[in-house]
Amino acid sequence: MKLLGLAFLASAEAVALRYAVVESPIQHVLVQMPLLVLAGVLLAWNRQIRQEWAVPLLLVALTVFLFWMLPRNVDWALTPTGEIAKYLSLPLLLGVPLRLSWPWLGPVLRGFLKANALSMLGVLGFLYTHAPVRICNSYLVSAQKDLGMAFFYLAAGLGCLWAIPILFGNPSGQRSNATGCASCGV
Amino acid sequence: MSAVSELVAEKSIVTEPQAGAVKLTMILSGAVFALMMVFGLIMRAAQGQLIEVDPALFYQLLTAHGAGMVGTAALSGAAIMWYFCGRHIVLTAGIFWAFLALFLLGVVLILGSIFIGGYGGAWTFLFPLPAMSGGAWEAGAAAAFMLGYVSIGVGFLLYYLELGRQIHARYGSLVRALGWNLILGREDKNPPPPTIVAAAAVTIFNSIGIILGAAVLVASLVHLLVPGFEVNALLAKNLIYFFGHVFINASIYMAVTAVYEILPEYTGKPWKSNRLFAIAWNAVLIFVMAVYWHHLLQDVVMPPWMLVVGQLVSYFSGIPLIAVTAFSTFLYVRGSKMTWDLTSSLLVLSVAGWAVGSIPASIDGMISVNKVMHNTMWVPGHFHTYLLLGEVAMAFGFMAWLVRGKTIAQMSGLDRVAFVTYLAGAAGFVTVFLFSGAASIPRRWAVHYEEWLMHDRIGTLFSVLIVMTTLFFVLRFVLRLGRSNG
Amino acid sequence: MMPRALPSVLIASIGLGTLWHATDGGQAFTSEAARRLDVVRVPRPVPALQLEDMSGQLLPLSPQGEEVVLVEFIYTVCGDICQIAGADFAEIRDQLEQRGEPVRMISVSFDPKRDTPEQMTIYGEAHEADGKMWTVARPRPEELPALLKLFDVTVIPDEWGGFQHNAAIHVINRDGRFSAVFDTDAIDAVLTHLEEHSS
Repeated sequence: MKLLGLAFLASAEAVALRYAVVESPIQHVLVQMPLLVLAGVLLAWNRQIRQEWAVPLLLVALTVFLFWMLPRNVDWALTPTGEIAKYLSLPLLLGVPLRLSWPWLGPVLRGFLKANALSMLGVLGFLYTHAPVRICNSYLVSAQKDLGMAFFYLAAGLGCLWAIPILFGNPSGQRSNATGCASCGV
Repeated sequence: MSAVSELVAEKSIVTEPQAGAVKLTMILSGAVFALMMVFGLIMRAAQGQLIEVDPALFYQLLTAHGAGMVGTAALSGAAIMWYFCGRHIVLTAGIFWAFLALFLLGVVLILGSIFIGGYGGAWTFLFPLPAMSGGAWEAGAAAAFMLGYVSIGVGFLLYYLELGRQIHARYGSLVRALGWNLILGREDKNPPPPTIVAAAAVTIFNSIGIILGAAVLVASLVHLLVPGFEVNALLAKNLIYFFGHVFINASIYMAVTAVYEILPEYTGKPWKSNRLFAIAWNAVLIFVMAVYWHHLLQDVVMPPWMLVVGQLVSYFSGIPLIAVTAFSTFLYVRGSKMTWDLTSSLLVLSVAGWAVGSIPASIDGMISVNKVMHNTMWVPGHFHTYLLLGEVAMAFGFMAWLVRGKTIAQMSGLDRVAFVTYLAGAAGFVTVFLFSGAASIPRRWAVHYEEWLMHDRIGTLFSVLIVMTTLFFVLRFVLRLGRSNG
Repeated sequence: MMPRALPSVLIASIGLGTLWHATDGGQAFTSEAARRLDVVRVPRPVPALQLEDMSGQLLPLSPQGEEVVLVEFIYTVCGDICQIAGADFAEIRDQLEQRGEPVRMISVSFDPKRDTPEQMTIYGEAHEADGKMWTVARPRPEELPALLKLFDVTVIPDEWGGFQHNAAIHVINRDGRFSAVFDTDAIDAVLTHLEEHSS
């Protein structure tokens, strides 16, 4: 119940940002969209699935992730149809399946996904900071550059967050169990 | 499919030492080394006008030789380190097979892009060259080349993730595996052996290298397929050289575990981690990532402090290597009655070659020297020294050890001839490069002036010796493997 | 093995298919690329719309008779890209004049409140748009949103009181359909396109 409340809160916050996202792609891509995914993750927090569904659900999540990574869909998400698609697909087809499949993923696969996330954030940073063209018609060139830098900072932050436990070990000295731990494994 | 199911969490099944996978990898490495050396021989002979090679083909060979040698050095180094890490930690065999499969897929893509697609933009895929072939190759060929790199990179990423995970599981943290307890003078009942220290350091810096390399590769791919997307050329160059420098250095740092694990069999003294050793490897970890700026000394737009750091770290990075590995090898060998068979000779040679190779490298890392030497044969001279006489010698020494048997005996006459020929061939070959560099002969030129032909022809002669002895080492390995298995 | 992998294979195929479709077969990653691809595939009919030109006269947006109309969107106090685009437009006009092609060129203001005929005249003089082959014109404010929607032009205010928009050269063909988009500096591409479609 508590989790359901939190999920609702996250999606409400995302909807509340409706007007802010028109102004700033950072608000859109790095605040609102992650909030929607978070809502889905919270929704499925205590659910469990059988192992055979882990890989198919992961593939669903990856497809939806890639779909919303396309710059044209960031533009599309500001139109009425696109907005509804965004509000529905990010929690239900990205957050929920990611959360459901995660406990079943092996540490190497988790590490691979994390390393890939860092690389892809780097690619986005690369393209958004230096593209001579406007990537999204709905945003200013300066906002596009800010977004690119934000991708770089996010990559650096996540890299530290994920590397420090492996480098310096678990401070509590014990290995955390598999359920409810997003950062265990590599 | 098997790779995917390996990746999904299950109780790890495997405890086998995986010698089979490693031996297969060494056969592949030996074969590709030999083939790439033949490419090198063809290029030298073409420069010496002993044979005629179309310049377009020359640049394809140059690209294949560069990418192939870097890849194979890394592949053989990875196999060696995997093998010896298996003595200290339990590694999942499936990951190694996935790594090998992705590597071979990458090789197929790269060779296809070069010899079918005509890609000849050098192994560094420097932005925006792959997209500006002037009609020599289609965008698809350059894309296939980069996808080949991506595939190899993914394979290596899996390799390091597994290694990092198992080191972490065994030692609790990577810094403990890096010997921080030894450095800080804390008590450690189970200090990491040298192989684990090396593995931890390489895992850290090569993972970073691969992640950044993947970013610049994918950004270049996007640029290639959607020309509207540009990337900043200077940033791309920085990332490419960071990745390239770290990756090729990692190959030696992985292969050197063979020295740590095999030489004690000859000296009778185990190679143990101590404080100095741990400090040296932690220094290597930093230096190998901070030194890449010495590849950009001619880029005047770089901030000067970066270039100064590049030069300084070039000097310093010789110290942990020479002071610790080379000097301890020397002490170990001097204080014991070594039996000089092919394995021990090649391994001791490899440490010497590596150390000697760092000297012309440091010289080239000086800003004032680099200004005149960077585009000359001096540069292939220095990296062939520590690759041919270092990494490749380590790989051949490891291969000789794998088929050695339990008893250690003095070298047979044939082995002795092969070893001396390899040493003479490689030493002569790199010396010619260095001389050519000192004579300002440019590198990467398909067609040479009349005045340079003498250099090229002597170099060709030496490369014939190398190719012959390489074939001998590889065939010897395969034949003995067959005999011991059959 | 196979039955176990089946759902994954199925979902991977659906996923790849979706992404393939969402990028028009790996061709369009941005909305700008998407619109360019779309108008070539399905040219859009342009309604009979009247614009007001530099001298206050009304003129039709759609081609009359055998002519082709080139449209670019501007606002007259634009400081950067429209100025360069204006020079490129002038270059195209000069080339077309030499060839005697039946083409009309209109720089359409998307800021009709500020861009009065006087203001448009200043802009036209600055770029040597004399109103013969190339003129500057504005729509009626209430017709502007539909016009921008038709051409898929997004105009957003920038930090300095001006606008940013996806600047391009838009072609309305003889049949009165919006049928192609080019970069503002793609002079040769525009000329070749007109040549190919004139016969």
